[in-house]
Amino acid sequence: MADNPTYKLIGKNFTPPDIEAKVTGASTYSEDFRAEGMAYVKMLLSPMPKCRVRNIDASEALALEGVYGIMTADDVPVFPNPGEQILTNEPNFVGEPILAIAAVDESTAANALELVNVEYEELPFVLDPLESLYPGGPDAYSGGNLVSSLRIEEEDELGDIGVVSHKWTARDFAAVDEGQLPMGQATMDWQYGDLDAAFNDAALVLDETFVTACNSHHSMEPRSAFSYWQNGKCYVHGSTQSQMFVVPGLANLIGITPDELVYISEFCGGGFGSKGGAYAVMALPAHFSRLISRPCMLRITRAEEYYLGSARASFQGRAKLAFNDQGKMTGADIYIVQQGGAKNPFGDFGAAGTMVSLVYTPESMRFRAIPIGTNTTPCGPQRGPGQNQMSAALEPLLDKAANALGIDQLEIRRINASNHETLTGGENRQKVSSSYMLDAIDMAAERFDWSNKFARNGERNGSKVIGVGIGQGYHSAGIAGFDGLMRILPDGKLHIHTGVGNLGTYSYASTSRVAAEVLDMDWDNCVIERGDTSKHLPWTIGQFGSLTTYTMSRANYAAAMDMKQKLQEIAAMDLGGNAEDYDLANETVFNINDPTQSITYAQAAQRALELGGKYSGEDPNGTNPLTQASVAGLAGSGLIGVARDTTPLNEHISAMVATFVMIELDTETGNYEILEFVSSGDCGTVNHPLGLVGQLRGGACMGIGMARSERQIYDPQNGLPGSVGLYQAKPPSYLDVPAFMDVSAVDQPDPTNPMGMKGIGEPPVGAAVGAVLAAVSNALGGYYFNRNPVTSDMILNAASGREQSNSPLQILTQ
Amino acid sequence: MRPQNQSRRSFIKGIIASGAVVSTGGLMFVSGCSENTLSPAAGSVERLISLNINGTVRRVDVLPNETLAMTLRNKLGLTGTKIGCDRGECGACSVLIDGVPNNSCSMLSHRVTNKNITTIEGIASPAGELHPVQQAMIEELAPQCGFCTPGQVISSVALLNNNSNPSREEARQALAGNLCRCGAYDHYLNAVLRAAEEIA
Amino acid sequence: MSTKDMMPNFDLFQPSDMGNAFDLLEQYGADAWPLAGGQDSLDWFKDRVKRPVAVIDLAGIPGMNGINETANGIEIGALTTLTEIAESPLIRDSYGVLAEAASRVASPQIRNIGTLGGNICQDVRCWYYRSGIDCYRAGGNTCYADTPEGLNREHCLFEADRCVAVTPSDTAPALVALDATMVIQNTDGMREVAAEDFFIGPDVDIERVTVLEPGDILTSIRIPSTWAGANYYFEKVADRETWDFALVNVAAVLRVSGDTIEGLRVVCGGVQCTPRRLNGVEDIVRGSARDEETIELAAGSAARGATTLNYNGFKIPLMENLVKRAIRDS
Ligand SMILES: Cc1cc2nc3c(=O)[nH]c(=O)nc-3n(C[C@H](O)[C@H](O)[C@H](O)COP(=O)(O)OP(=O)(O)OC[C@H]3O[C@@H](n4cnc5c(N)ncnc54)[C@H](O)[C@@H]3O)c2cc1C
Ligand code: SF4
Ligand code: FES
Ligand code: FES
Repeated sequence: MADNPTYKLIGKNFTPPDIEAKVTGASTYSEDFRAEGMAYVKMLLSPMPKCRVRNIDASEALALEGVYGIMTADDVPVFPNPGEQILTNEPNFVGEPILAIAAVDESTAANALELVNVEYEELPFVLDPLESLYPGGPDAYSGGNLVSSLRIEEEDELGDIGVVSHKWTARDFAAVDEGQLPMGQATMDWQYGDLDAAFNDAALVLDETFVTACNSHHSMEPRSAFSYWQNGKCYVHGSTQSQMFVVPGLANLIGITPDELVYISEFCGGGFGSKGGAYAVMALPAHFSRLISRPCMLRITRAEEYYLGSARASFQGRAKLAFNDQGKMTGADIYIVQQGGAKNPFGDFGAAGTMVSLVYTPESMRFRAIPIGTNTTPCGPQRGPGQNQMSAALEPLLDKAANALGIDQLEIRRINASNHETLTGGENRQKVSSSYMLDAIDMAAERFDWSNKFARNGERNGSKVIGVGIGQGYHSAGIAGFDGLMRILPDGKLHIHTGVGNLGTYSYASTSRVAAEVLDMDWDNCVIERGDTSKHLPWTIGQFGSLTTYTMSRANYAAAMDMKQKLQEIAAMDLGGNAEDYDLANETVFNINDPTQSITYAQAAQRALELGGKYSGEDPNGTNPLTQASVAGLAGSGLIGVARDTTPLNEHISAMVATFVMIELDTETGNYEILEFVSSGDCGTVNHPLGLVGQLRGGACMGIGMARSERQIYDPQNGLPGSVGLYQAKPPSYLDVPAFMDVSAVDQPDPTNPMGMKGIGEPPVGAAVGAVLAAVSNALGGYYFNRNPVTSDMILNAASGREQSNSPLQILTQ
Repeated sequence: MRPQNQSRRSFIKGIIASGAVVSTGGLMFVSGCSENTLSPAAGSVERLISLNINGTVRRVDVLPNETLAMTLRNKLGLTGTKIGCDRGECGACSVLIDGVPNNSCSMLSHRVTNKNITTIEGIASPAGELHPVQQAMIEELAPQCGFCTPGQVISSVALLNNNSNPSREEARQALAGNLCRCGAYDHYLNAVLRAAEEIA
Repeated sequence: MSTKDMMPNFDLFQPSDMGNAFDLLEQYGADAWPLAGGQDSLDWFKDRVKRPVAVIDLAGIPGMNGINETANGIEIGALTTLTEIAESPLIRDSYGVLAEAASRVASPQIRNIGTLGGNICQDVRCWYYRSGIDCYRAGGNTCYADTPEGLNREHCLFEADRCVAVTPSDTAPALVALDATMVIQNTDGMREVAAEDFFIGPDVDIERVTVLEPGDILTSIRIPSTWAGANYYFEKVADRETWDFALVNVAAVLRVSGDTIEGLRVVCGGVQCTPRRLNGVEDIVRGSARDEETIELAAGSAARGATTLNYNGFKIPLMENLVKRAIRDS
């Protein structure tokens, strides 16, 4: 990626201020805090997928020396069903917390937990949404299997607890062949174009049933939390990928107002969607601390992270695809049944529909989906939730279509690629703001040397065979409407306040550089204020959804423009003329007509203190109440720039990645090595080159994990999760990913962002899983698994002509 | 000689974790009550031990069932060593024991009383000058979330101490026991090779 | 269910000589647990499933470490780490199948402390058993894996007896292939057990995987020079290249003279509770030319007699293929 000549800071690498602490071990994650007299909290988890707690006898445990107290569901607030509870007497997944004990150390707490006697009443449970949808099938939630706000059928009886029991008819199930996805009443159903005509006139129709895996996030830092109360405020050190976004939800979980909460999350050891906002268990130490008047540490273990953390939802899907003889997708009829998990499901299913409409641009499309609760670990968003499952399912099928039509596999993707005019599917179709996907495909194809590489597809060397594949990934990449806040102090330094969080992308810093760029600041004279709400942070988007770069560059631009305006006004006030007569350079405000007429930023900041009012922050125009509170806290400390990003946004922001891989697959072992890996992305203007390539490669590693090894399994007999250690859940190691990945970006500006930037965090995952699965199918001469991950046993079964051991619709299986 | 069948069964006490289950067909977990051996048996280890950590001998009160990772983090304030799994499955807790990388979560503290222990806090010079590996990791923007980073540094330093000019493949093998969920593998490898050049 | 991570209390002993260790083992009987590298043991303690009263750290006992040449082979102290074995020039040159097997275990950090003795004594990895439920092997009266719905992809093809778990060790098949003997000591003295007899299946004792009984210490492993310098083959197929147990592994040594394979030993792990020596394959191949026909015949017979479970049918072609490669590529 070449240097961007337009900007001084944008498009250039820099050293993020937090990175040195990471290499020296000085970085502090939530479990690194210690306090005098602190207590250690450990939880008792449900041993059953669905049950009711009949009785708890903790007398022996409480008598143990060193035990400070116990908390049960009776001591914490109850949240609406089927939302996450802090503690519960009606657990609906194995590992849901029932009670907790605080003690002088973890050993004592663990010993005490074994002395608690709990009586349970076992209830019927369900792991497979289709089983729950069958007439008379068990419901995962108490009172139903579907969140009532998601239902569409008016006749459904609305349970008073926010869930309904939704069943299909026996006829729905009988209407399809065995192994095909039945398609009863959905909760999401939209359509555009003439689908019937597309299928009637098609040169090729594919009708495929597929499933995708439930896989855990495996964030390296488990979701530990530390909490104490001081001077009427509750301090929480948490592990979240977002900072300010967490505050309202966490305050609600603790039962206080946002201004009573000090939330500290300077570092976060990975979240990947599972720590985007507040989650129930992080409020437990706060409640416990209030009860026993001691600082409380809740260290979450790896097994607990698997039990009660979060996982990507499985899909059971059906894709009917129509193509004309040129390879254009003329119709897509997609149905998704989403594994809902034990709690409120995330909307993976909805994103799946948007993905199909944007990546394959079908001329007509119908999309139906329904999320159904299951007694499994809650299904939260995971890096490309919904979109990336679709990459896994559909990319190999695109090759199937290309092969059947005699079209090149690259060409079929080019023909169907989105452009600047592409519309999303859905109730309200939106045009994309820009799409350079075709450029990304072409860039990667050229770097990969597609035609020569593809000529090698199927090349054999003993038991080894070459497979070449392409994958595409998409995610929405920006929204608008958040706040930016910054200050120039009388010493001339620019303090950029950011509330986005720190999940490791460094976008908290790279988006702050937008402000410095606008104000022509030397980066060395900028300070980023973050990681702790007592530092007076603005209301900003959470760090998720590939949103930060686009959304926060806009917000910081807006606030920087406010700052610029104020600098110009102050200069005009002191030096005469109008504000418009002034411009900024080298940390001074100067008169355009007479550059000798100037004041430094430091002088302006000093003047702001004298002027008061909006200049030193007393009037934070139109921002979120949380931003207003922060501005109030900063008032009188310098010249304040603060604004909400109000520039209208009517388009859909889309980021995409194309990935090409070449693998060598051993038909005798079912293993394969990824020999070459090339990715190119469309993410608008490149802001932080090293950060970008890190995201492209890191996302690829997750996609490779989805393709080759990661899945959560549950025992059908008793609902017990089987992937509760890293060695069982299998995220890829150094040796499971290519030794080198070639990544690049188109670097074309998006017209709706002041600097042309878009996000990129999630699409690389989908592009990689799609490419690797496509390459495996290509290596096997067009054997389609219609399932991820594809593990060595499946490849061996395919290569040796054995039947696969899973039935086509089976999920959560080995 | 005891009957064969008795060998392991006697470790398995009770039937279900934390109490009785009022149901049939329910899952039965093998567990039991804690045996609080508060007074240690004669001849068993002393609780007060000395550990040589980053060149300094530290006296510390350690339980017989305590891992080095817990001692470092909870008793000695050395929280740079991270616990990602506590099971030997991620390498985040790596420390050097006599120069060899080990998972501190999977060794008893009493095991290392007469060894030299180096944690991430002992990698930079006492004056705070970064090790070339650390500097290279900054330059390559290797850490993302940073949670696996201390372990990656430890394994990289150990590698370069033994092999000052490793190939990319050798580095990959040497770092294989350090999981990075952010997938920053390429960048860590770049950093190791950059540091090797720096040292040469 | 409690949150598995903190080990229950135990007394830790660090005997500095063998005699002291035996006294302790005698004193605590079945409540004692010998600790080598601890890479399997600590997991069991953290799970709070196995709960010894006394943990006897063997590390301080002199003479249980290192690799020595003997009159007719080598002797490896049971506490020798897997890294030492993988890197030992002696083992690499003469007993390469063992070096290779050791180098494929777990991860560098685990190999740096995990011992050869511990690696072959480690318990099975059945996920039901490891999750702490009361199956046969845990003293209960059911097997969760061997049911129509049980998830048993990693489980066995041969010699099931109530339990269908497999040996997870990578070095065990190599030691059986090399015809090693295990040197076991207790207060009554010393005995030697052939590797093939050291491992026991559920038919012998469903709660143990080796002949070791309370009071026994595995002190060393002797490898005769019979197969020193022979052609060898080791391969392990797993889902990941680090930290992962074999779905199936194969260890083989072959003595080849001219065109003829004069003798061989072929052993598979991951298919039975003990390392499975493939006598049938050996009989077919011994004395034959290393040609296509022999290789195919041998591979075709490798998994004869297998009984598949619902999810592990792939182990049949995998075994066949690994045996084919062992004979073809060694
Ligand atoms: C994440 C992970 C991945 C792994 N991957 C693999 C793998 O790929 N391949 C593989 O083969 N193994 C694997 N292992 C298993 C195993 O822990 C290691 O291989 C290691 O070698 C065990 O040795 P140890 O010395 O640490 O055993 P310990 O835990 O000390 O001992 C294991 C058992 O053997 C007994 N024992 C040990 N030594 C003696 C002795 N001298 N006399 C009597 N009894 C003794 C102990 O009492 C205990 O019951 C893995 C383990 C983990 C945690
Ligand atoms: S296979 Fe063996 S260890 Fe596994 S559940 Fe069955 S009896 Fe237990
Ligand atoms: S924490 Fe020790 S290896 Fe994961
Ligand atoms: S940098 Fe996040 S786990 Fe490695």
